[in-house]
Amino acid sequence: MVVPARPPGRARAALAGLRAPVVWVLLAIAYFTAISGKPLDGVLMLIVAAGLAWDAGRRALRHPGSESPPVARPARRPGGRRRLLILSALLTGGAVYAGVVGSFSRYSWPATAGIIGLGTIVVVIGWHGPLRDRPAGGRLPVAATLAWVVVLVAGCLWELGALLQQPSLTTDSYAHPTVSTLTDPLLATSPGRSVLLLAWLALGWYLVER
Amino acid sequence: MISHEVTIAGYLLVAAGLVLLQVLATRTRAPIPSLGDLLTRAMRSRTGRVGMLVAWAWIGLHFFAK
Repeated sequence: MVVPARPPGRARAALAGLRAPVVWVLLAIAYFTAISGKPLDGVLMLIVAAGLAWDAGRRALRHPGSESPPVARPARRPGGRRRLLILSALLTGGAVYAGVVGSFSRYSWPATAGIIGLGTIVVVIGWHGPLRDRPAGGRLPVAATLAWVVVLVAGCLWELGALLQQPSLTTDSYAHPTVSTLTDPLLATSPGRSVLLLAWLALGWYLVER
Repeated sequence: MISHEVTIAGYLLVAAGLVLLQVLATRTRAPIPSLGDLLTRAMRSRTGRVGMLVAWAWIGLHFFAK
């Protein structure tokens, strides 16, 4: 009897992981980011996509048919006074971070290090599961969920349309501004950068808490 | 000039759509999930969770990093 050769374990895991749509979205982001003149971002996205594909594939091979939900940490919330202290420390730390990183000019190495450092910490925390257990919730209504998807996809396509109508991917256009072009005046000043960094931190915290 | 305004109007329309859906979800009895509900659902799996957090990190990289 001839037994067909099976690919090695890691390759099989990576191939199984490619079934996750998120991996393809990350690969697309890596490609478009790299050809838009930001190869470092592209490489980082590629590393995460490969890691996620391998991790998802490994889990799919171990537990076929399961969606591999992240392991929830125990629902242990600190009490009133301790919670207030933690919240104060986080707010102070966030304000200091936004002030310091915002004082560096855009696209400089110090700003890049600050963003990559915090981004890595947050993604690693998220990889291990939510900070606390949350109720699973019921099924979402399909039509209403589709309405959200339509508006979000329309926004992405509008931005992509503006990007593709620029003279080149790395040259801004006044006639077809992308969101990045529209925020350039705000990001040209140190206080403006700090304000946007605070908003970015708040969004990150909101997501980590989900 | 007109293209500039049309492009911005498109962004405003998308933003208005997002605000409208969120208001309908949180202030009325319409069977619409809030953005928070959608994010919680999307982040229930490990790939969804990591994907959302990487998207967040990418925003920071895109606007501030080399």
